[in-house]
Amino acid sequence: MATAAPSPTRAAVRLRHRRSARRLSQGQLADLREAVRLAQGIGDDRGYQYWAGVHGLPLPAYCQHGSEIFLPWHRAYLYFFEKALQDRVDGVTLPWWDWTKDHQQGIPPAYARARVDGRVNPLASSPIQPSGRRRPDERRTWRQPGDPSWLPSPEEVRAVRRNRDFFTFQNQLENIHNGIHGWVGGTMGSIATSAYDPVFWVHHCMVDRVWYLWQLDHPGARLPRRYLDLALPPFPMTVRDTLDITALGYDYAAGTAAVPGTRRG
Amino acid sequence: MVDRFRSKPLELPDPEHSFDRVDLVFYDVDHSGDSFEARIFIGAGRKLGRDAGIDHPAYAGSFYVFGHDRCYGEHGHCEVRRDRDDFDFRLPHHLEPTVRIVTVTDAVKRLLGAGKRKAAVDVIARDPQGKALEALDFSKLRLLTYA
Repeated sequence: MATAAPSPTRAAVRLRHRRSARRLSQGQLADLREAVRLAQGIGDDRGYQYWAGVHGLPLPAYCQHGSEIFLPWHRAYLYFFEKALQDRVDGVTLPWWDWTKDHQQGIPPAYARARVDGRVNPLASSPIQPSGRRRPDERRTWRQPGDPSWLPSPEEVRAVRRNRDFFTFQNQLENIHNGIHGWVGGTMGSIATSAYDPVFWVHHCMVDRVWYLWQLDHPGARLPRRYLDLALPPFPMTVRDTLDITALGYDYAAGTAAVPGTRRG
Repeated sequence: MVDRFRSKPLELPDPEHSFDRVDLVFYDVDHSGDSFEARIFIGAGRKLGRDAGIDHPAYAGSFYVFGHDRCYGEHGHCEVRRDRDDFDFRLPHHLEPTVRIVTVTDAVKRLLGAGKRKAAVDVIARDPQGKALEALDFSKLRLLTYA
């Protein structure tokens, strides 16, 4: 089974587009903020705290790092979190933070401003539930970002994308991902708490997008059969289920249009 | 755990044979503690300071560890079991050591261009604020050349 190319049969079926965090329209940004704000207000397994807690604290920590399923597991994680946001505001999608281009400001302004319209910006920080804290006084997420000039260059990411072997690609992309967790610092700097910071999702969306771009770069890349059927707990998905993002109902393209080709039927 | 490591000299690729890429592969890297950067220098010499930056002529790349911070479970929770049998379908333990692959082609080409045939690898571990951190632990280092 090939790892990648978007399914031609699904390409035009009401895909939702994930957009750059810097290019959201005012309406799209307002919808995203509202979805996250509403999710942060729900204390059960539909809410932000539940989904953030799946990654690290409270135990069990389901996330996969330094393992063969780093990319598939996080693709499934984003998918289910995005569904939870869409339950709050229909049509909302996770944006991506292109850290190869934001070397002046670092964290996207939509995620950096502490307050918006006189209210706490739900994309800038989040409460942390008591069972998710490393220390009792860590009640909200916090950041300690480094110098934005440190962030990876487009050439660094292109070099990673040139890997033909999936596992080497995944390893080197995870390495860039690790560095950015450390660069944001604070809550994001630890596996235990990182997903409570709203910037976690926009960071991982970029990681997922780079995987998607790699899939387009290497349409013939194949994965071992034993790998495809690995489960991604706690999600009802296998690695195989994550390989085609259009089958998951989203795309990173700015738009999608399709017409039949030469073959009929 | 150490905050810096110096390898024995590694044999560099034969300059008579062309190559496309050289990777340094670190095996069994521990990621159970703090997040850190491991800065890698090749052929730096013994005077390499702990605060050597990415502008140092021997800098070859970095790998980053996204750490688990500490154990949040009870006694034994973070012990990695080594006795998995063939019928154990659980996912590997979260703290199973990992592998880091760093492409160092340009650095190796620089050394070969300077006539070097062997070089030691220095690795310096730093926390995100740049302070030395005793977090570095791995079992083996290999230099792999791809033609």
